[in-house]
Amino acid sequence: MFSRSLCAAGLVLALAPLEAAAHCFVGARFLPATLVIDDPCVADELSLPTVARFNTGDDPSARQLDISGEYSKRITDTFGVSIGRTWTHLSQPAGMPDVSGFQNWETTFKHQFLTDAAHEFVMSAGLSIEWGATGSPDVGAERFSVLTPTVWFGKGFGDLPESAGFLRAFAVTGQVGYSIPTSSSTLTVDPDSGLLNLEFHPQFWVYGASLQFSFPYLKANVKDLGLPDFINRLIPIVEAQFSTPAANIDGNPSITTGTVNPGVIYAADTFQVGLEAIIPINRASGTGIGAVVQLHLYLDDIFPKTIGRPLFSTASAASKP
Amino acid sequence: MRKLLFAFVGLLLAGAGARAHAHLDRASPPVGGTVRTAPRSVTLWFSQKLEPSFSSAQVTDAAGARVDQGSRVSGTQIHVSVKALPPGSYRVHWKVLSVDTHKTEGSFSFRVGQ
Repeated sequence: MFSRSLCAAGLVLALAPLEAAAHCFVGARFLPATLVIDDPCVADELSLPTVARFNTGDDPSARQLDISGEYSKRITDTFGVSIGRTWTHLSQPAGMPDVSGFQNWETTFKHQFLTDAAHEFVMSAGLSIEWGATGSPDVGAERFSVLTPTVWFGKGFGDLPESAGFLRAFAVTGQVGYSIPTSSSTLTVDPDSGLLNLEFHPQFWVYGASLQFSFPYLKANVKDLGLPDFINRLIPIVEAQFSTPAANIDGNPSITTGTVNPGVIYAADTFQVGLEAIIPINRASGTGIGAVVQLHLYLDDIFPKTIGRPLFSTASAASKP
Repeated sequence: MRKLLFAFVGLLLAGAGARAHAHLDRASPPVGGTVRTAPRSVTLWFSQKLEPSFSSAQVTDAAGARVDQGSRVSGTQIHVSVKALPPGSYRVHWKVLSVDTHKTEGSFSFRVGQ
């Protein structure tokens, strides 16, 4: 599939106009790819790998290692598709065997429908799909699919008055979605007792946000403090993600779960590296503090004239700024 | 698996030599800085070579009136000639297109006088 995309991209490159948009630039603001929630733009990007290590919310907890990758491709300047998958290893409590396997394939279709450069504001809407029965049940991959209509947003505070000073280097991003399983329940038979067990599949509100301070923005748009180049490429960040059962909850806990993830992103010219802690908000969300690290490649910068461009660009030809 | 690994390493190597978005590296007068004497020009240095036809900068005073006399692009730099600037606050607005066709823009202020 990847090589087909490459070929398709190559075939239409000659039709693409001169001027390229970017990964998540909104006016003077650059919003980096976040590790836990999705950023609000469409882009040509590759997150590979993302490695997360944490303890699950099960009782007793299992230690979970996730290694995932995601490829994002712009079809037009404002519409993109991403596809990703995660390999999971579960170190089970004593007496239970460790298990490994892939989670279900995931695909997200996203339309960036609002980009307000002057106010550093961007919004997107789309649909994320977890394709059922494409992963291993051993690591919790479900047999049913899950559809999650989602809205994403990003807002930089560079349009605050000059008197706001360093506050202008802050930005927030966020997302709100509603996950709907394609199957409302599963009926199973207990092999030992022969009793029927009806398991409901709840619908969830899934939401999250990030608060980020951009040293690159501070240096270029607010005040150049003469800091070392390494510091000027850092974006300290706090992400948070939550999941709240909303419907079809029968027999399931109705508690909100989630994590808070403080960390930092280093943004180079063609890639970024992010590192965040994973702090569960309650016992049902996990135990202890985990960590996630990600290498993220800006394909639009690495291959600006080939696979880093939209397949079909709707932008007009370049105009003088 | 081995092919995937080679492809990934290839991506990284390609990235090492890639040009990217043009970011403002530094400016004179400096971003957010104060200069005692009025400058005759504003100079912006970028991280990438610029397309001269699609890159420019303007300088405005606190009232939003333009005080520049046009800009000139050379390699990674933009030079903006300015009129005689009385003490006060000024804002530089720039939009550039790097040679690899990526747009970036930004703005910053500087002060003349105490």
